[in-house]
Amino acid sequence: MAQNQLKNLYNDLKRSFEAKPSDLKRCGTLLSKLKIGLIETGLLTPQGEHNVDDLVVARDILEIGAIWSIRTRDVPSFDRYFSQLQTFYTDYGSVLPPSKNEYPIRGLNLIRLLTQNRIADFHTTLESLPIPAEAIADNQFISHPVNLEQWLMEGSYSKVWNARERAPVEEYKYFVDSLMGTIRNEIASCEEAAYESLPLKDASTLLFFSNQSELLTFAQQRGWQVDLSKSLITFATKGEEQVEIPKEKLISSSLAYARELEQIV
Amino acid sequence: MKSTEKDEKKDEKKEETTQEEVKKEPPTPLAEIKGNFVLIDRAVSTLEPRFTHRVLRTLTTLVKKIDEGIIRNAIEEAYPKDSATKATLLSWIPLSASGDVEMQVDSAKPASITTEPVPEIDIYLRLLVIHQLLKSKENVPKAKELSVETVQKMQALNRRSLDSIAAKVWYALERAFEINGDLAEARPLFLAAQRTAALRHDDDTQASLINRLLRSYLAYSLYDQADKLVSKTTFPVSAGNPQYARYHYYLGRIKAVQLNYSDAHTNLQQAIRRAPPATVAPGFYQAVHKLFVVVELLMGDIPDRGIFRHPVLEKPLKGYFEIVKAVRTGSLSQFQQTVSKHAALFQADKTHTLITRLRQNVIKTGIRRLSLAYSLISLKDICVKLHLDSEEDAEYIVGKAIRDGVIDGRLIHEDGWMACGGAGGVKRGYGSEVAEIFSRRIGYCLELHNQSVKAMRYPLNAHRKELADAEGAREREKELAKEIQEGDLDDEDLGGEF
Repeated sequence: MAQNQLKNLYNDLKRSFEAKPSDLKRCGTLLSKLKIGLIETGLLTPQGEHNVDDLVVARDILEIGAIWSIRTRDVPSFDRYFSQLQTFYTDYGSVLPPSKNEYPIRGLNLIRLLTQNRIADFHTTLESLPIPAEAIADNQFISHPVNLEQWLMEGSYSKVWNARERAPVEEYKYFVDSLMGTIRNEIASCEEAAYESLPLKDASTLLFFSNQSELLTFAQQRGWQVDLSKSLITFATKGEEQVEIPKEKLISSSLAYARELEQIV
Repeated sequence: MKSTEKDEKKDEKKEETTQEEVKKEPPTPLAEIKGNFVLIDRAVSTLEPRFTHRVLRTLTTLVKKIDEGIIRNAIEEAYPKDSATKATLLSWIPLSASGDVEMQVDSAKPASITTEPVPEIDIYLRLLVIHQLLKSKENVPKAKELSVETVQKMQALNRRSLDSIAAKVWYALERAFEINGDLAEARPLFLAAQRTAALRHDDDTQASLINRLLRSYLAYSLYDQADKLVSKTTFPVSAGNPQYARYHYYLGRIKAVQLNYSDAHTNLQQAIRRAPPATVAPGFYQAVHKLFVVVELLMGDIPDRGIFRHPVLEKPLKGYFEIVKAVRTGSLSQFQQTVSKHAALFQADKTHTLITRLRQNVIKTGIRRLSLAYSLISLKDICVKLHLDSEEDAEYIVGKAIRDGVIDGRLIHEDGWMACGGAGGVKRGYGSEVAEIFSRRIGYCLELHNQSVKAMRYPLNAHRKELADAEGAREREKELAKEIQEGDLDDEDLGGEF
């Protein structure tokens, strides 16, 4: 594919992406064509010296691809685009002019890790961000997922719920929605442990349900006893949990000690 | 066989005597270097790496004592008069006027060596030169150049007797690159060398290089790559304690970032155990302890107070001590204050993100304290006491604490209360948790024992003596048997003895 053709396609992609609402389908076909073009010119995973302008174009294409993946709700594709972008962000970071999309996309990646409950990866990624720790609070794209994680860990679920509206970029909301499902389950398990019974009305505010029927289906899923006449949810009190003695583990460790002791004596 | 044995024994004795002499009066650095030449020479000829190790052990103290003149003299004496290697080596040393001339007069007479020394000595001298160059800032680029050249030379030579010196050269190379501020550039070099070292089973170099790589990854916060490196390589078992200590420290760092605190704890414990004494290497000791304290807090434990009284640790760990106090009392505001007060310190130590993770631990301890003190407390009071933002949050947080088993209690939503299980209701048994901690401690002790056994050195050829004894005994037995057989019928003889 000639350099010229690539340029045209790129402009085409840019136009259809920036149009409101953007033409997702057309973007998709253009992206796959462009990716082939990038591979042919060796820009998809660049190595060594390259023309700076070419690299910027390649980075733009991949960034659009990443955002496009979120809009089409294709998380694995986002993952691929993001790992391809890593080369541009880290290895060529000193050569290229900074991209305005870099931090939104990094933030999106963080939220993605959070929703998939990959907390260890979340922290590793956070640690390897090229900005100093005190600047995180000033960077709204990064501070958003960081705060979400903190609130989730300490249990301030209402803050997470309220932050839903304050997403710095439209795309964040896609992940926040799926985050809500996780949160509801978290809250529900907390309630089961913490309350004996709960009025229906309060339960729906605690679980952020706007109407009762949603709550009732949810309660059914979790197996709660709902008393409609008293409008009360009772949580089955679990009897004293039988503490299981980990026999196998104890035996194997005792044997290991015996073996070691025999070596010593 | 016997003659060599004797020779070796003689050697040992000679060594002992020379060592004793050394103890009597500290030799001049020049004499020390010369002594080291002899040791290296012997190491090469007897294929015994022990002697080289002994030479390298004194490296750090030696480097502090030497200057350009001493190295120059050492080089002059090590090589024959018109040696090409000598000329190149000398060209690396910056000229200095101090006492150069008169010392040369001193050593002019005995310099009558005619053969080229072994390459190990050459590399050792280069190592000394690099360290000397690293002492002053303007010479660092030169040191970098020399170290790269030395590494190439080492790889071309490919001698097994060079391995332990090579490991030190890699360290010097890293230092040169790091001081110069382009540690990332050295990474491909390390990676290639690590591959070769692994293929050649060059354990010393491999251990050193893995640590170099980890250090360079962690310096740029590339935890992902560091983790992959660790999972793809096996750290050589025969590596020395200092390398092991470093390796465990880096591992602990990676594990802590990945939220794997218990593993991080074990690794850091090992690092502390293997680290040189606090007075010798205070920097490392402090760095490990800083991380250790944070990891212990993250695990929900409170570090031993004795750590903060240690003379080497007391001052640098002051900020951490305040954090510990805040976590222990469960006061969120105090915690927040301390974090912002010492933010610069934590940033420099790269523990800031780890410490911000402590927030939830602070809250948990706070709730726990409240649950122990009150049997019934309103959510609003919890809010005020723990400095939480809203009652709503307090309800969720307490709920989570109950679910996670931090406290034993119930929430009464209608009245906005938290009721805590009465005195009898608290169940605290010796469950599997205790067993787990117990087994972890036993594991630590057993490993300590096994490693001490492995680290013991046995006198050379001791088993031969035993063998000889055994052989002698067997011979005597044979003789006895023969005698018995011969004098089989001579019952009187035997009987007479009794």
